[in-house]
Amino acid sequence: MQGGGATFPNPIYQQWASDFGRQHPDVRIEYVGKGSGAGIGGLIDKTLDFAGSDAPLNDEELAKARRTGGDVVQIPSVAGAVVLAYNLRDLRGELKLSGPVVADIFLGRITQWNDPAIKSLNPHLVLPDIPICAVHRSEGSGTNFVFTSYLCTQSDEFQTQVNFGKTVRWPIGEGAQGNPGVTQALEETPGAIGYIELNFAIDNNIPVALMQNESGEFVKASPATASAAGEAALVDMDRYKTLTVRLWARPGPNVYPISCFTYLMCYRDLGYLRDRQRAQAIVDFFWYAIHDGQDVATELAYAPLGQGVRQRVQQELDTITFNGQPLHHQP
Amino acid sequence: MTATVSPSSAGPMLRRGRSGEDVLLRVAVTGGALAILGMLATLVLVLFVAALPSMRRFGPAFLFSSEWRPNALPVLKLDGHGHTIRDPRTAMKVVDHYRAPAFGAGASLFGTVATSTWALLLAVPLSLGAALFLVRIAPVWLVPFVSFLIEFLAAIPSIAYGLWGMFVLGPWMGGPARWVRVLGMQLPAGIESRIGALAIHVPGLRWICTTSVGGKTVLVPPTGRDIFVAGIILGIMIVPIITAISRDVLRSVPREQMEGTIALGATWWQSCREMIFYCRSALFGAILLGLARAAGETMAVLMVMGNTAAVPTSPFMAGTTLSATLAGEFPEAATSDLQRGALMEVALILLVMSLVFNIVARYLVIGKWQPSAATAH
Amino acid sequence: MAKKRDTRAHLASHLMYGVCIAAAAVIVGTLVLITGYLLAIGLHSLHWSFFTNLPRSDPPGMRNSIEGTLILVLLASVVGIPVGTAAGVYLSEYEVDSMLAVPVRFVCDVLAGVPSIVVGILGYELLVVPAGTYSGWAGAMALAFIMVPIVARTTEEMLRLVPRSYREASIALGATKARTIVNVVMPSATGSLVTGAMLAVARVAGETAPLLFTAVGSDFVVHDPAKPFPSLTLRIYELSNEASPAARAQAWSGILVLVALILLVNLAVRYFTRRRVAR
Repeated sequence: MQGGGATFPNPIYQQWASDFGRQHPDVRIEYVGKGSGAGIGGLIDKTLDFAGSDAPLNDEELAKARRTGGDVVQIPSVAGAVVLAYNLRDLRGELKLSGPVVADIFLGRITQWNDPAIKSLNPHLVLPDIPICAVHRSEGSGTNFVFTSYLCTQSDEFQTQVNFGKTVRWPIGEGAQGNPGVTQALEETPGAIGYIELNFAIDNNIPVALMQNESGEFVKASPATASAAGEAALVDMDRYKTLTVRLWARPGPNVYPISCFTYLMCYRDLGYLRDRQRAQAIVDFFWYAIHDGQDVATELAYAPLGQGVRQRVQQELDTITFNGQPLHHQP
Repeated sequence: MTATVSPSSAGPMLRRGRSGEDVLLRVAVTGGALAILGMLATLVLVLFVAALPSMRRFGPAFLFSSEWRPNALPVLKLDGHGHTIRDPRTAMKVVDHYRAPAFGAGASLFGTVATSTWALLLAVPLSLGAALFLVRIAPVWLVPFVSFLIEFLAAIPSIAYGLWGMFVLGPWMGGPARWVRVLGMQLPAGIESRIGALAIHVPGLRWICTTSVGGKTVLVPPTGRDIFVAGIILGIMIVPIITAISRDVLRSVPREQMEGTIALGATWWQSCREMIFYCRSALFGAILLGLARAAGETMAVLMVMGNTAAVPTSPFMAGTTLSATLAGEFPEAATSDLQRGALMEVALILLVMSLVFNIVARYLVIGKWQPSAATAH
Repeated sequence: MAKKRDTRAHLASHLMYGVCIAAAAVIVGTLVLITGYLLAIGLHSLHWSFFTNLPRSDPPGMRNSIEGTLILVLLASVVGIPVGTAAGVYLSEYEVDSMLAVPVRFVCDVLAGVPSIVVGILGYELLVVPAGTYSGWAGAMALAFIMVPIVARTTEEMLRLVPRSYREASIALGATKARTIVNVVMPSATGSLVTGAMLAVARVAGETAPLLFTAVGSDFVVHDPAKPFPSLTLRIYELSNEASPAARAQAWSGILVLVALILLVNLAVRYFTRRRVAR
């Protein structure tokens, strides 16, 4: 079966696809990381069986999906962190940044690394006098969605000039394709700063900044600090009766402020596939993802879902049907 | 029934009438010819219809607006005291209403024009020079060899150029401060930035090396992914076309013309100028064909340009072209009808542009000489 | 005075003479530079597993993409070559300057200059959206669209080179027009027709943009053209967007294989065309 979408979870989805494929030899899962926007588009026009996206469906997409195939199931599969990675080879020490400062950087209001705003957050660091090159995602990206949503909570100016979304118009900076593209641009350009997912930063050994969270602490991104954000979100899941809650801009001890879920999506009624076995495979794969699949999350630098989240996801998975008949997970 | 007399088989023809197989073949080949007409018609029609919603919505301003904003921008709601209100669920400020998404091909169009201009600046002198070399300088045994090599350049697929530009040329070029690098030797970073800082004060260099961000003049960061590099790659790509056509055009200049000028005591270069002047319209056509190719090129530009939907103020900044916007944004256009319509309109603009260039070019070139399929594609 | 102007003019002439030589040298030099890079880096990272493995294996290979390109080009040729040849025969043998022929020739030339990405979008609108899925067929038909004008033009040109006397003799001997064309004119131009077709094939094998939204690529071995289809060019493009040095090395290897294939075909074409022209 064919899936596609976000590049952030691509490494772990590939792992899951091959592990699941080993357990179920008659199932072949292909996931292509083209960006959350492409994934959602593929799900809507049914060229994909399931989609991966860091951004939940917005109103327009949901309406479209409901017209073409009915309601859509969106479940979080893992959590992660969006980190600010930078290329300052001669910097000794870890850079500290805050939401408003990052917003100003990406708005083009802070253009040099030794700007007083950055200096005031890093009094003990020697910052070079070189221009900042802001790198952003050029295609429709869930990472974009998460990052811009976070920046909107930090800066009114950002919300009114750029707003949030999978694709936004960045006032300045260079575009790159996919998490890997941004990583490459960061490695090549001194003075560059970009937003990528934590696992890419770790795999490529790129320095990342500590971010100041809503409680004022400077927190380092890690699976643990992302999970802490997940815990804080449980309340919202019940209050707003949805699984697609924000993990960013949450207060709390050791909570990383730009954490996010990434979602797996499929239609609630899979009857349109006409192939019951394929529908069953989708359900089984999603089940695998949130149970056995979670075991490999931490070693790939993703934050696994907490117990509370898992329960709620299971309930959601039980609502998937095939032409009206419920499709339960078959162990 | 009389058989038709066709010029290609002039001469005595037995009046046999049309046999079955004649009719069959005739139908088949006419079908082929009609297919070609049909292909163009379908292309124009489908794109036109697909672009209609966007054309109706944005009107002619689409061509000039450089705004490519797929999302709506909020205007924040203010409470009684004129302060914004925070929404606890999203942690953002509450929105009063939205300014609708807007699309415009302005930035893409600018990018296409800019990269094509650089490409022509590079390619035209080189191509004309090479064409003159082939026609007036090179010994007879050398001509096929060199022509062959130049046509080799045309056979290389565009993605190969893109890769080369992305991994070899781009990093080497890396912006104006790096130009001080001599053949790969790297100056210490401090000196590079100091030279760059000087550039701000030199009036000529100021335009290319700096850009204005939020009112401040700032040095363009050296990324190697910019309009200029894209222009160079495109220039290399269109050299074979312009050279090949120019060579054949120049070759077709009648001997008497050249001998006449030499008899009048003209130097070699002066007689060359006469030749160029003589077939200037056909040469212009050749250049137009090269331009058409440059404007329509996708892959090489996509990989080398940086792709930001904004109008760059310096050739060392990233930008986008019509084809790059199309290729880059299409995957997600499925989710937004308006965006897809806008992209279709971009495609239509690209198609019309290339049609116009091609038509004018063929008209200019055809007067003097027929382009051979092997040389111009 | 005249002498001074003469000297300056002669100086200028010598200068421009050198400039023209330099221009040709720069072009050839650039070719050497680019192919040199392709060869050097590509060969360095090429190894046997490239041809036998799939993208998901370790070390990753491009077997499915190479197969995919070959199949796509084959499918495109099955449609493109007959249609193009038919049009070319029409232009050369029937009503050479008729009401239909002039626009057809013109449109043919114009079509050949349409950007390939626009052709891909046409393929998307006509073949992908109604079918609901990306497919190899859509990709192949987009490639065929590009092939037809090229094949038509080379066919027309090559057939025109066949001397009139062949046709006249055949008619005089009592053959029908159809027989004449099929049994006399075309066979005598077979070599050129084949090379013309090969030119189109080589051109189309290197195309990426028309496949971006039609065949879309795949990491698996796909033999069913009704599904998303792999292609060498698409795979190279995907790899170029990945940041790892391994992906980069693979992309170079892919380019080497692609360019080598295309250049080989072009070499053959040029060689045969040269012999025919120098009659």
